[in-house]
Amino acid sequence: MIENFIQNYLNHPKTYDEMFLDSENYRNHYSNFIKNFSKESLENLNKKEELAKKLFMSQGITFTVYDSGEGIEKIFPFDIIPRIITSSEWLFIEKGIKQRLKALNLFLKDVYSNQFILKDKIVPINVIYSCPHFLREMYNVNVLHDIYIHIAGIDLIRDHDGTFYVLEDNLRTPSGVSYMLENREITKRLFPDLIPQCGVRSVTEYPAILYKNLMALSPRAVSNPTIVLLSPGMYNSAYYEHTTLARLMGVELVEGRDLVVKNQKVYMKTTIGLQQVDVIYRRVDDDYIDPLVFNPNSVLGVAGLMGAYRKGNVAIVNAVGNGVADDKAVYTYVPDMIKYYLNEEPILKNVPTYQLSNPDELKFVFENINTMVIKKTNGSGGYGMLMGHAASEQETEEYKLEILKDPRNFIAQPTISLSSAPCFINGKLAPRRIDLRPFALNGPDGISIVPGGLTRVALKEGSLVVNSSQGGGSKDTWVLTS
Amino acid sequence: MPIFKIKHITNYKYETPVRDSANQVILFPIKDDYQKVVKHDLNISGSPEIEIFIDYYGNEVGTFTQNEPHTQLKIFSKVCVETSPKPLPQDDMFGNEQWNRLDALKYEVPYIDYLRQEVFEGIAQLKETALSIKQDEDTPYQTAIKYSAHVFNNFEYIKGVTAVDTTIDEILKLEAGVCQDFAHVLTAMLRLTGIPSRYVSGYICPNRDGMRGEGATHAWAEAYLPEYGWLGLDPTNNCIANENHVRLAVGRNFADCSPVKGVYKGGFEHIMEVNVSVGYNDEDLNDNETYFKPTEVNYSKPSATVTNVRKQNSYQQYMEAIQQQQQQQQ
Repeated sequence: MIENFIQNYLNHPKTYDEMFLDSENYRNHYSNFIKNFSKESLENLNKKEELAKKLFMSQGITFTVYDSGEGIEKIFPFDIIPRIITSSEWLFIEKGIKQRLKALNLFLKDVYSNQFILKDKIVPINVIYSCPHFLREMYNVNVLHDIYIHIAGIDLIRDHDGTFYVLEDNLRTPSGVSYMLENREITKRLFPDLIPQCGVRSVTEYPAILYKNLMALSPRAVSNPTIVLLSPGMYNSAYYEHTTLARLMGVELVEGRDLVVKNQKVYMKTTIGLQQVDVIYRRVDDDYIDPLVFNPNSVLGVAGLMGAYRKGNVAIVNAVGNGVADDKAVYTYVPDMIKYYLNEEPILKNVPTYQLSNPDELKFVFENINTMVIKKTNGSGGYGMLMGHAASEQETEEYKLEILKDPRNFIAQPTISLSSAPCFINGKLAPRRIDLRPFALNGPDGISIVPGGLTRVALKEGSLVVNSSQGGGSKDTWVLTS
Repeated sequence: MPIFKIKHITNYKYETPVRDSANQVILFPIKDDYQKVVKHDLNISGSPEIEIFIDYYGNEVGTFTQNEPHTQLKIFSKVCVETSPKPLPQDDMFGNEQWNRLDALKYEVPYIDYLRQEVFEGIAQLKETALSIKQDEDTPYQTAIKYSAHVFNNFEYIKGVTAVDTTIDEILKLEAGVCQDFAHVLTAMLRLTGIPSRYVSGYICPNRDGMRGEGATHAWAEAYLPEYGWLGLDPTNNCIANENHVRLAVGRNFADCSPVKGVYKGGFEHIMEVNVSVGYNDEDLNDNETYFKPTEVNYSKPSATVTNVRKQNSYQQYMEAIQQQQQQQQ
C-alpha cells in the first residue's frame, strides 16, 4: 500500500529526506512504522486527518497570527505522519544540547558579573554592549542556583547530508511545548497501536519535570511554595499554551494585575487576601515585566518585581536578561563559548553566520544576497526576514536600505536546504521541509530533555520557512527506544 | 570646603486615592574624594521600608512600595554635603596622544557605554556640527569646553517646552529645553567625537547669584579626559561643574539617573510639586517645612493611550491603569 502513497514522491534535489533514502528505499528506522501504516486504506487515512482537524478545533489548540488584520486565531495545522528520530541520533542531539546549554548558562552568569569572556576577547565586547537585550539592570544580581536558562527551545535543522545544525537558541520564553504534548495525544488517538509497536519514547513527563524544577527554585523553605504562570493574557499568541501548562502542572495562571509587590516580596491577590509568590514562570517579555524598571507603559508586568527578584525573594523563570545569549549576533560565538567555558569541542554545529556590522561581511552578503537568508538579530517568529533566493528585486533593495540604517540589527546566513519529511497531503505523501525544536529543562538537579520535541513543517510546497506565524504546521516527533 | 545643606521635597498629590505604588529614588549623593556626605535623612510619607542597592553605574538606588490607598506621596530628602574642588586638568599632553588614548578605550568597560551614542535621526548632522567646532589641534579638554559653550549659546533655556522623555531629535528641532536636554545634547556631541561622556544628576548650589537649575534637581555632563578622569561640564550655565555641583548619580542618560520615579494604580492625574533649596553652613536651617515654598509645579498627565481608555470606562481605568510619575531635571 505504501507504494500507492509514494508514487511521484519527488525528493527535492540535494535534500536529506527523513524517511526515504531514494525513490525506492526507505530508512531502516521507519520500517516498523511503514509496516503498520501501510495496512491503512486511503479512506481511513482521510478520516484520520479529518478527525485530527476536529480534535484540534474542539480543544481550541490555536495560536494567534499578528498583523494579519482578520481571523487572527488559527489552529496549528497538524500532519498525521510522525517524524521519526533514531535513538542514536537522539543521543547525539541530547548531548549536544546539554553541552550548549551549559555553556550558554555560564556565559549569562559571566556576562552579568565578571565578564571574563569579554576581557579575554573571546566574544567582542561591542557585540554585547550594543545588544538591546544586555540588561545592565541584571548586573551582579544573584540568580538562584545560578540558573538563568531554565527552559530552552533550541532549533535544529539538517543539511543535505543529514548533519544537524543549530539554527537558533531560544532562551527567553520559548513556546511550542504544548503542541509537542498535544501532537502526541492526537497521534495516540489516530494510531492507538502504532506507538507501542514502534517503541516510541514518552514525552508526557514534561510538565512533571518542569513542575519539580520550579518547586526546587523556591527561595522560601516551605513545603508547598506558590508557583504561578504569568501570562500576558488571552491576546497573546501562545495563550493556549499558557493555559495548558498551568493546567497540567496545577499552578495558578495569573496576569500582571493579579500580582502586587509589597516590601520586596511578590503577592498574589486571592479571595482570602494576599498570598506570597515564590516562583514565577513568566511568559511576559523582559521589557514588559516591570514598568518601574523597564517599559513604563507596560500593563502586563508587575511594578517593583525586579526589586523582589534582586533581593532573592522570588525566582523568575527564565531569568531576566537572557536575550543577550540568544541574540542572533551573539549566536555566532556560541561554539567559542563552549570551548572557553567547558574546554570541549562543540557537538552541534552552528550555521555559518555573517555579521552585517562588519563592513567586509556586509559587502560579501550584498554581493551574494540571492543565496542568503537575512534576519533581524532580535527578531523571532520568522517576522522581518529576507529569503534572498525568493525575494523580488524591489524587496531586496528595500531590505538593503533597512539594513544600512543600523547593520548591527542584522545577520545573514547561507540558505540551508532543510531536510524534508513525508506529509499526508491530498491523499498522497509529499515531501515538506522540517526543523526540530526539542525542549530542554534545566533545574538544580541538572538538564533534562524529554525525548521528542516540536517538528515544524513548512506546509507550502517548496517553502523553507517553518514558523507557525508564516504558515507552518507541525508533526508528532518520535524518538525510538532502540 | 563648602558645606551645603540641601532640602529636596517631592510631593505627589492624587485627585483620588491611589494604591500599589512602586517607586525608585536615586537621591543618595555620590561619596568620593571630592564629595562627603555629612548627614542624610530620607523621609517618605507612610514610612515605607526603603531597600537600597548599587546599580550598574555604581549609584545607590532606593526602592519602596506603598500599597495602602493614599492621596499623597511625599519624599523628603535632607542632605548635608561637604564638597571640595577638583583641580582642573593640566592638559599638557599632546593632543594626538590624548585622542589616541581615548580611542583605545572604545572597547573598555565602562567607557564603551559612555562612547556609544544611541542612533537618532539627526545623528549625522550633530556629528558634523561637533566636528566643525573642533579644531585639528584641540585637545579633548579644549574640545569639551567648546562643546559646552556651543550648547549654552545655541539652545535657549525655556522651562515647559520639553518633558522627561523628550528625545535629542526634538531638542535639536526646538533648540531649547532645560538642563536635562542641554546635558543630553552635550553628551551626544562628546560621544560622537570620541570623548566618553556621561550624564550627571544632582543639585546646583550657586553662590547666591542665582543660576539656572535651582529649585529642582539639576543635570549636567561629564567628559572623560586621559590622565585626568571625569570632568564636569554644565552646559546650562556654561561652566565647569565642580564644588558647587553636588552629584547624585551618573549614567548614560536621564533614564539611568532619574531621581524619583514611580508607578501606581488608580487615579487619573497627579500633581507633582518639586522643591529643592540649598542652605549654607553659616545659615540657620530650620526644619520648618513652610520654609520651602514649592517653586515648580508640574502637571503630569497619563499617556495618550491611557487617556483614551478613561473616556470609555473610568472605573476600569481606576482599577487597572498603571500610571507613571517622574520628575524632570531642570
